[in-house]
Amino acid sequence: MENTVKLKNKTTIGLIAILAAVILAIGLLGLSCYGSATAVGWSGGTVADGTLYVGSNAGQLVAINLSDNSTPKFSDPIEFKNQTGPLSCNALSCGSTTSTVAIYGTPAVYDNFVYIAGYDGVIYKFNVSDLNDITPKKFFQPDGKLEPFVGGPVIAQGKLFIGRSDGTIYSLDAATGDLLATYKTGDKIWGTPAVDGDTLYIGSFDKKLYAFNISTGKLNPKWDTPFETQGAIISTPLVYKGVVYIGSFDKYLYAIDANTGKEIHKFPGKNWFWAQPEIVDGIIYAGNMDGFVYIINADTMKEVTKPIDLKSPVASAPVVVGNYIVFASRNCIIYKIDTVSQSIAKIIPLNLKINVNGPLTAYEGIVYIHPQGKNMESINIDNGDVLPKIPLQK
Amino acid sequence: MKSGYLNLNYWDLIIQQPLTNILIVISNFRGGSFGLSIIILTLVINFLLLPLTMNQIRSSKAMQDLQPRLAEIQKKFGKDRQKLAQEQMKLYKESGVKPAGCLFSMFIQMPVWIALYRSIMLVLAVVPEGLLDLARYLYPWHIVYSALPLSSKFLWIDLAHGNPILALLVGASMWLQQKMSTPPSTDPRQAQQATMMLWMMPLLFTFMALSFPSGLALYWVASSVFRIVLQYRVTGWGGLKKQPAPAGDTGKKYLKFDTIQEKKSTDEEPRADVIVKDSGPSKDNLNPYKPGKSRFQPGKNKDQGKNKK
Repeated sequence: MENTVKLKNKTTIGLIAILAAVILAIGLLGLSCYGSATAVGWSGGTVADGTLYVGSNAGQLVAINLSDNSTPKFSDPIEFKNQTGPLSCNALSCGSTTSTVAIYGTPAVYDNFVYIAGYDGVIYKFNVSDLNDITPKKFFQPDGKLEPFVGGPVIAQGKLFIGRSDGTIYSLDAATGDLLATYKTGDKIWGTPAVDGDTLYIGSFDKKLYAFNISTGKLNPKWDTPFETQGAIISTPLVYKGVVYIGSFDKYLYAIDANTGKEIHKFPGKNWFWAQPEIVDGIIYAGNMDGFVYIINADTMKEVTKPIDLKSPVASAPVVVGNYIVFASRNCIIYKIDTVSQSIAKIIPLNLKINVNGPLTAYEGIVYIHPQGKNMESINIDNGDVLPKIPLQK
Repeated sequence: MKSGYLNLNYWDLIIQQPLTNILIVISNFRGGSFGLSIIILTLVINFLLLPLTMNQIRSSKAMQDLQPRLAEIQKKFGKDRQKLAQEQMKLYKESGVKPAGCLFSMFIQMPVWIALYRSIMLVLAVVPEGLLDLARYLYPWHIVYSALPLSSKFLWIDLAHGNPILALLVGASMWLQQKMSTPPSTDPRQAQQATMMLWMMPLLFTFMALSFPSGLALYWVASSVFRIVLQYRVTGWGGLKKQPAPAGDTGKKYLKFDTIQEKKSTDEEPRADVIVKDSGPSKDNLNPYKPGKSRFQPGKNKDQGKNKK
């Protein structure tokens, strides 16, 4: 009897080995999903004529009328057809599949049109004169292999500028989509450019900040070379009184002379500077991935007071509302900071188990937050009330 | 001054975070090549786990060496299952072989492989959200911060996306390694299970590797190649070599042709079909096909042949 049990145990061990191998395989597959392998998007909002435009996580342009709080209008989803052919098999399916396109960049609005750059490497244009019929139209698709757009477009002097994951900066005619100029940097561009007067500033993963003359489409001749840091740049530059402020992955926030491209000062953080900083009355408020907001004198780049601990990384660009600057930490907690006392005036938890990665938007005392979910959150900054959610999916 | 944002658990602090940062540092010293970094770290970890791996391989080899004796036991006690199991267990005990020993080694190594797998996914930062997640795992070393984000290009491969050639290599190297390490079994049930494992796992992993970033496939191939080399040093080609026919009855039936010298004489104990005739012994009696050979008929006296003379 005992030996019969032992024989059965040997068979059982064999079956357990097979089962363990299958579980390991499934576990590894599950881990690959858990490891943030899906592009979701973190589009911020743009307000034009009382309407907030935002790219949803479902690949749609959503138009929200902020005056009458009516039901949001949704465009058709932007879809992407995956590779076909015998090599398009994966563990879950074979053949071609269609998926919605993630939208990372904040939409740009120009002359009744909204422009969105998709993760599929295509720029789409939406005619928003009739919000009941918003259809995405391909506006620009670079030649060759499609590389994602992560940063958003900016429009200045009738031209649209954007950087792509292949490291190329594109200058397009905002009306027709004609390619006007390109410039190839050394690595990916995931940041959104900033415009000041006739100059466009954009950072790249090649650790350099570039300055372009908008009229000519060429590098600013006053800069001998692009400004070089020790780390990749994803942050959107901030330009204030002839100084360009830019954060880098080398943990420094730099102050650069906009005229010459030379470093004036730099300030050290403890992790990446990811979000664009904000400036109020000569004081810079810079969120860092170490979870702190550094409060720095814009002229001397010295700390004015102790940094404010948000207890979670800061990836979202803040907004200024009256005498307050509003930050969102990644773990969905909103901080209202008094710019007079430079201290926290109110903490507003959204109680969501998702991240806030995209920039905040403010309009008439209301701050709009787009977390990685199906809704847009909004807060009345005056009284700190959390307002009803705005659905971003039909 | 520390923020409470890290929120790393013990697994992250002790295993995940160190592996992730080591991967980044190695990349930095290898000219930013993440592919080389994966291969190097995989080999380093394999060396660190060498005692466990060797134990596993030796267990398999010992099992293989026992096969002839197991076959004898199978032949001797094949009809008595209880006795068969008893003798098999006795043999395992005497030889010090633990059939489940290799499983134990595998379970010890599994957390390390999972951590390495997760580190590769983190550092690859296949999507922008992945790069944000990576920030909380970084040590405060300048070399780490300035190295990121790493380029996902390695040779002709984009490590952030699946690659069919690497996926095929995953399957092929797994098959090869398993084939070399799987001892042939005389037990039909075990042989069937072994065959199933030999083909099922490589096929499964090949298909899954098409979905994974190919950085993971690269780590798997590097690990498999290391183990193949190790296996070869211990067992040679092992199960890949054509196995010689084992001694003893394998159950095959052969036709036997007796030679003239081997032919039994009629003076020996007669068989039932031997016919006894009158002719006496002569040299022709050695030829079984010539007349004169006596054939014994049961119940008849041998003396009958003598009387006829």
